Amino acid sequence: MSVLNTLLPRRSRGETPAGRSEVSTTGTVAPFYKINETDEAYELHVFLPGVTKEGLELSLEKGEISIVARREWKKPEGWTPLYREIRTADFTLTLRHDNTFDSERVRAELKDGVLRVTLPKAEAVKPRKIQVG
Amino acid sequence: MHREAAGTRAAPVMQPSRRAELAAPITNTETKTTMTIVRYNYPRTSLTPLVRGASPWSSFERELDRLFTSAVSDFAVFSNAGDLDHFPVDLYEDADNHYVRAELPGVERSEINVEMVEDYLTISGKRVVPGSEGQPAETLEFTRSLAIPEAVQADKVAAVYENGVLTVTLPKREEAKPRKISIEVK
Repeated sequence: MSVLNTLLPRRSRGETPAGRSEVSTTGTVAPFYKINETDEAYELHVFLPGVTKEGLELSLEKGEISIVARREWKKPEGWTPLYREIRTADFTLTLRHDNTFDSERVRAELKDGVLRVTLPKAEAVKPRKIQVG
Repeated sequence: MHREAAGTRAAPVMQPSRRAELAAPITNTETKTTMTIVRYNYPRTSLTPLVRGASPWSSFERELDRLFTSAVSDFAVFSNAGDLDHFPVDLYEDADNHYVRAELPGVERSEINVEMVEDYLTISGKRVVPGSEGQPAETLEFTRSLAIPEAVQADKVAAVYENGVLTVTLPKREEAKPRKISIEVK
């Protein structure tokens, strides 16, 4: 990555395009994602069109959330492509985090090609109101 | 004889490989007038003043950024949030049908409209992007029309939405289907 940083003009000047994965692996694409924050949790929405539950791997490792999603769709026999825009490459996304959520209570749901991961905030980082006595 | 010579002289001018000759005077043998073709120089404006503090390379860097961003965006399905109203499509055919596949993750089935008007298939709809706490959900509308290359039976078009991908099946008209006619040889 350090080699890339010196080669790629935007990165080398400290600007990172928002909303895109830091990690790019050859042969895969980074999906679009969005992170919402509430008082109780962080909500991660990842757009994974054409991905089924069977083709999805979500793992929480030390300091990282990684998603590998395979597109299950195969072109049926006899179909001739006339025009193509949809990529066949699998999705990968790796996000770094600072362990401020409760990894025991993480929930994930895949619906209509959107993966929703709820990461409940750890008690220590929740906003707390302190009564002045 | 004289006319023939004039004809052969005019011909090489049309050939790009002989462009070097254009710089030389072309002489019309009949009227003896001479004409020279000179490359046109664009008028030069005054030198663009350099803004103090700005890098003289800034326009070059901007251009590199633009090229880089356009190259990188090919590898991301949606390069940024603003692209959520654009979606990629595929067009396929087999002997009986045309098929259109469109990637529309996270859209309610009731919010997808598929229309067939003449030879154009239009896919439109609304996507609700949930907002953060305290912020309302965003609604993005999208629409796209595709020209279907062959006549289809518009009343028999069917659409299925599964795992965020819309598949539209457009049955070909009978006359558009390839027909196999066996001819008896006597």
